[in-house]
Amino acid sequence: MASIAASSSTYLQARPRQLAIAANQVKCLSYGRRSHLSFNLRQLPTRLSVSCAAKPETVDKVCAVVRKQLSLKEADEITAATKFAALGADSLDTVEIVMGLEEEFGIEMAEEKAQSIATVEQAAELIEELLLEKAK
Amino acid sequence: MRTSVISKMQRSFSIELPSLVPLQLPSRMETHLWYVVPEEVKSKSLLKHYSQLLSPPEKDKVLRMRGDELQKNALLARTLVRTTIARYQTNNVVDPRTLMFKKNMYGKPEVDWQNYKNCDNPPLHFNISHTDSLIACGVTVYVPVGIDLEDKGRKIKHDVLALAERFYSTDEVKFLSTIPDPEVQRKEFIKLWTLKEAYVKALGKGFSAAPFSTFTIQPKAGTTGGYNLCKEKTKKCNGEWKFGLLELADSHYAAICIEDDQASGGAPMRVIVWKTIPFVEDELISESRFL
Repeated sequence: MASIAASSSTYLQARPRQLAIAANQVKCLSYGRRSHLSFNLRQLPTRLSVSCAAKPETVDKVCAVVRKQLSLKEADEITAATKFAALGADSLDTVEIVMGLEEEFGIEMAEEKAQSIATVEQAAELIEELLLEKAK
Repeated sequence: MRTSVISKMQRSFSIELPSLVPLQLPSRMETHLWYVVPEEVKSKSLLKHYSQLLSPPEKDKVLRMRGDELQKNALLARTLVRTTIARYQTNNVVDPRTLMFKKNMYGKPEVDWQNYKNCDNPPLHFNISHTDSLIACGVTVYVPVGIDLEDKGRKIKHDVLALAERFYSTDEVKFLSTIPDPEVQRKEFIKLWTLKEAYVKALGKGFSAAPFSTFTIQPKAGTTGGYNLCKEKTKKCNGEWKFGLLELADSHYAAICIEDDQASGGAPMRVIVWKTIPFVEDELISESRFL
């Protein structure tokens, strides 16, 4: 889940984060052909999602690392909200993704955090936090 | 549908679902391991039956998987859990659709028995793991269980030692660095991974309770197939947890970890393995070679 940081004066050192609350129509996961599943590929209901302002460049770089680790095809869609598990990543993949991110960004993640990152967004936010820390 | 299945139909559930064959509970300190090979489950009507067993949230979760293959495997995983647990009920085979699940406070899935007035429900524990090509469910009574599978041939994209240095304990890094052949090193890394993962899953408290670098799993001297768990800081190895590592379906390493209730006097773990296609057939795998 996106972390919610209050942009109050007590957080002067951290870059204040703006939160955009957007209503997202979740896309129907249809792959253009009939599924063998008996239940319909209906549209999942509209839900509110909180999108955090991790920089798009960070998100893009994270996506690139994930694509490489999981050997995704060009056509495979991956966005900030994408869960690694939904792409078929297991815990060993997650750990390799973390190593790839550490190499890409020149940071080190705490082990417990590393093993519990579940989405592109979470990774991007954690990376930006760590980069900020590093810059101090 | 094959005629043998049709002749077994009892219509005790709704349309066309054949009955599940009941199972004898595992004994103490015994683990039952059930696995499905997704490639062997091709029948569209069978998969349709399976999807009818799932709860609405489970179906949603299956649908969120990206692509047909991942969706099928997610469906098979839930089916395996529901049908296997349903079969172990001592009085009647329970309708697998009625089973409810909850998560412990750390997120580990467990059976929720609240719907069942019958107080004879055995204290069943289960844990699942899957790869692209295999899905397994471990079952025990009285003691928590954790299992993990990895494809033996799984490619590691990073340097194995670098990964170990980053995530494993110092003794494990030492052990791996003494292995000259990179292929053997890769295999040992993966075996260790499955053992460590099985422990964390058996513990059921999430990764932060037992980061991989804080404990070592090593073969027990003087045994085949026994392993010790030792804490990195104290180097103490107490026998609270039992481990077993096997090869499954010629293609996977499977690690099993159960809490040792100390009553078995240090005896090695007993594992019984079946290959299954829910509602269709079970095959007892008689030879489980411990690694």
